Amino acid sequence: MFKKALLALPVAMAVGAAAQAGEWQDPNDVLQNLLQNNPDSAYLHQSEMNIMMMPDNPALWLVEEGEDLFYAQRGPNNVSLEGCDFGKGPGELDGAYVELPRYFEDTGKVMDFEMRLVHCMKELQGFTSDDAAVGQRHGNGSDIMKLTTYIAHQSSGMAWNPPLDHPEEQAMRDAGEKLFFRRGGAMDFNCASCHGDSGKQIRASVLPEMRNGQEWTKAISWPAHRAGHDNVRSQNHRIRGCVWQMRHAGIKHDTPVNTALISFWNDAARGEPAILPDLKR
Amino acid sequence: MLRNKTVGAGLAVLASTVLIAGCDGWMGETSGEVDITAMSADELADYLVLETDSYRFEQEAQEGGSARDRMVQDGIQAACSIEGDPDSGTAGEVIAMARESYEAPPGGPRLGNWRRGAELARSGYGYRIGHRNDDHGTREAGGNCYACHQMDPAEELYGTLGPSLAGYGATRGNDSSVVNYVHQVVSNPHQYFPCTKMPRFGRNNFLSEEQIAHVMAYLLDPDSPVNQ
Repeated sequence: MFKKALLALPVAMAVGAAAQAGEWQDPNDVLQNLLQNNPDSAYLHQSEMNIMMMPDNPALWLVEEGEDLFYAQRGPNNVSLEGCDFGKGPGELDGAYVELPRYFEDTGKVMDFEMRLVHCMKELQGFTSDDAAVGQRHGNGSDIMKLTTYIAHQSSGMAWNPPLDHPEEQAMRDAGEKLFFRRGGAMDFNCASCHGDSGKQIRASVLPEMRNGQEWTKAISWPAHRAGHDNVRSQNHRIRGCVWQMRHAGIKHDTPVNTALISFWNDAARGEPAILPDLKR
Repeated sequence: MLRNKTVGAGLAVLASTVLIAGCDGWMGETSGEVDITAMSADELADYLVLETDSYRFEQEAQEGGSARDRMVQDGIQAACSIEGDPDSGTAGEVIAMARESYEAPPGGPRLGNWRRGAELARSGYGYRIGHRNDDHGTREAGGNCYACHQMDPAEELYGTLGPSLAGYGATRGNDSSVVNYVHQVVSNPHQYFPCTKMPRFGRNNFLSEEQIAHVMAYLLDPDSPVNQ
């Protein structure tokens, strides 16, 4: 199963990779290039163990499970997700993940990846919020994380390129930048409290700098197997964890604060190749 | 620079651009379809935080008040929501606000028990709410100083977001001027470091005066391992 994920997918992907966003690359190759180009980045080089584990990234199991789920006829409507438009046309997944969030005409708003996935599972497949298929957002056992990892993997190595052509895309990105620096909570923190400089540590953990694109692309490359949690985690899970540690208010999923923050995050890594899925401490 | 947050009033006007809400439109669920492109980025950020049901605002905060109260900015938080260092005008205003809001404990700052201070400096427990809530009834909240500072030189796991405090008391002594200064910095550090990353442990009721006294002893007591 592992070998199939490791060998079959890159071959299949290399054929269909979209040229405008860069060629599909194996996530380990993307990481190795980043490491070679940034020999002095304490953040990128902080875990020899994780770098060694990367070719056998446990998140690759979810790629395979997610592929099965994506093409399976599921839900009350008994249809697959091939009709879901992530921005590049129904069922078009190559490069879709790195070009989100974006404005969708059918809903009239900017949506991030998870929001869009849930939208399709509800509208196309007929799931409701009460169904575990969309209700359970976190953990290797969740459909959402399996699908997220499979779909994101189709953009590995491609450059982050969230569109800003629609005025609402630009507005959400700009608001997200303000949110990044918005102080609040019981400790007065903003995102920049931890991500304003390169090479700083919180306890033993080296932190990525937001304005350093080559550190930041790894920082936002979720889904990633998080070794300390022994689970694959999403961008939304990272936001929830940061907000919790910052002693802000607890954040809800499928909400516009998430979308705005991710709009800014992904824009801050624009042009840098995504590691999908990544492996983190 | 130091604006009072009057976004709510401005939003009522903007919200007049009403359309029929989409089937799962988040804006439709709160206040009708709002034209987000008509707002400044600052206005939209505040709107997203406070008006779109993005947070569990109904939860209680351990320091008192609600989760929503945590996300409504006070003057220092608003002035320091910037990238990089404040300009001199902002810095002066922040220092003035910090001085105005600083309170010395009754009888003046004092040193407590450095052993208790060591526990508080190491503990990252407390004040977290959301999907899991820290229960201060079963476990005391800490100051988490080691997340950002070196303190005891023998402790290997420490953060570097703040300066090293190893030997802090050994080089400064602990007469009343030093004790008063350290209390001001722990309680409300923007008096000396405008827009610092460091929390206002006293002003925000994050640590009690008794706890601050213990942390100060950990820094300044000659017997503390910080000063060995």
